[in-house]
Amino acid sequence: MIDPTTLFAVVLQNNSTAPVVTSDPAMPAAAAAALTVGLAALGAGYAERGIGAAAVGAVAEDDDMFGRGLILTVLPETQVILALVVVFLVAL
Amino acid sequence: MSALYGGSGEASNYEYVIARVASRRAALFDADDYRKLVRMGTGEIARFMEESEYEAEMNALGARYSGVDLIEYALNRNLAKHFNDLLRWADGRLYDYIARYLRKFDAWNVKTALRGIYSDAGADAIQSDYIRAGEFDDDLLDQLSTLDTVPAAVELLESTMFGDGLEAALEDHEETGLLVPLENAVDRAFFEDIDEGLPSRERAGRATELYLDFITTEIDFRNVRNALRLARSGAGMDPAAYYIDGGTLFSPDELNQLVNNTDQLIEHIRESSYGEDLSDALDELADADSLIDFEHALDTALLEFADTLANRYPVSVLPVLSYVLAKEREVDNVRAVARGREAGLDPDEIETELVIQ
Repeated sequence: MIDPTTLFAVVLQNNSTAPVVTSDPAMPAAAAAALTVGLAALGAGYAERGIGAAAVGAVAEDDDMFGRGLILTVLPETQVILALVVVFLVAL
Repeated sequence: MSALYGGSGEASNYEYVIARVASRRAALFDADDYRKLVRMGTGEIARFMEESEYEAEMNALGARYSGVDLIEYALNRNLAKHFNDLLRWADGRLYDYIARYLRKFDAWNVKTALRGIYSDAGADAIQSDYIRAGEFDDDLLDQLSTLDTVPAAVELLESTMFGDGLEAALEDHEETGLLVPLENAVDRAFFEDIDEGLPSRERAGRATELYLDFITTEIDFRNVRNALRLARSGAGMDPAAYYIDGGTLFSPDELNQLVNNTDQLIEHIRESSYGEDLSDALDELADADSLIDFEHALDTALLEFADTLANRYPVSVLPVLSYVLAKEREVDNVRAVARGREAGLDPDEIETELVIQ
């Protein structure tokens, strides 16, 4: 097992050769914001997997469920929109 | 036996199956529908069914049968269609659980065939009474229905999961001339096989544990029913032969003692974990001595228990099993109504025969 803190230390101090004390951020702000959006999208995608499967099942039984199923399926997408806010706050 | 059909690598698609099951469950007849049905004649019932879930089956069979037979065959065929759908949808573990459970229709079909052969009903009659929702393929079932003698049928079934039990029971059957030992062997083979190859409760994952809970309850209820029937009719039958292993309510020894004393038996059930659910039914049983009412109460309690579990664990196999039970019950109910109306019973009388949640 790799100790998570060492792992972070490696990632965060990627280019530094010696253990120097520095106030440089671990990564550029834009990259951090991009990572945020990416992770949020991953989470939303995972959530939509289950909801989408259930929605397709419901629509297969009853066509009228299409609208409701669609709305429920894309609900987790709001998380990505919230994460997008971070881009405007931080990166721009 | 390794009983994983769907391939263990494949993930279960609980969400999809449960959404479809929930929708079909909502389409089942409710108490109001039954109230209407018990006041109809058989022709009206047939028309009512034609306008409901059963439309396709009624149309397909309408030319060949009429009256109560039409209703009955349409019910069976519809049941088989819905349960085959369940298997069509499910993947992975979920498929495995459902397939195991639906083998109860293999048991049903074997019993149907044995009864038909025993009473010389003929291949056609047997075939139209099959519920083709289990694992046996059509060839085997059709072949089974054409046989003339019970031993021949037992021989044909030798390679199936019922083979060993049936062979052992054949001797009893030949001695007594009764079908009961064979039917009982079929039931026991089914219940013994249902958790075959699953991990034990301690090592099982949550999903398997829930499945086992459900099966245990069903076995317990089956044992209660058998015990009460034995206690009622008694007649020197060996209780151990009717005991189904795997329940938590009785041990074989307990059952042996309790069937001789109905009061103690009722007391034992009352003190068990099912006592609360069954208390009304037990009171009724103690007072009225009516076994049929109690059995209906038992069925209702099992349905309710399955529903409670399904509500508690919505993303599991339980909603599917609960639907299977409810659908079976609907078919039984509609059949009871149709047969009752045909025999000229009045609505109130029929209503007491129904199991409505």
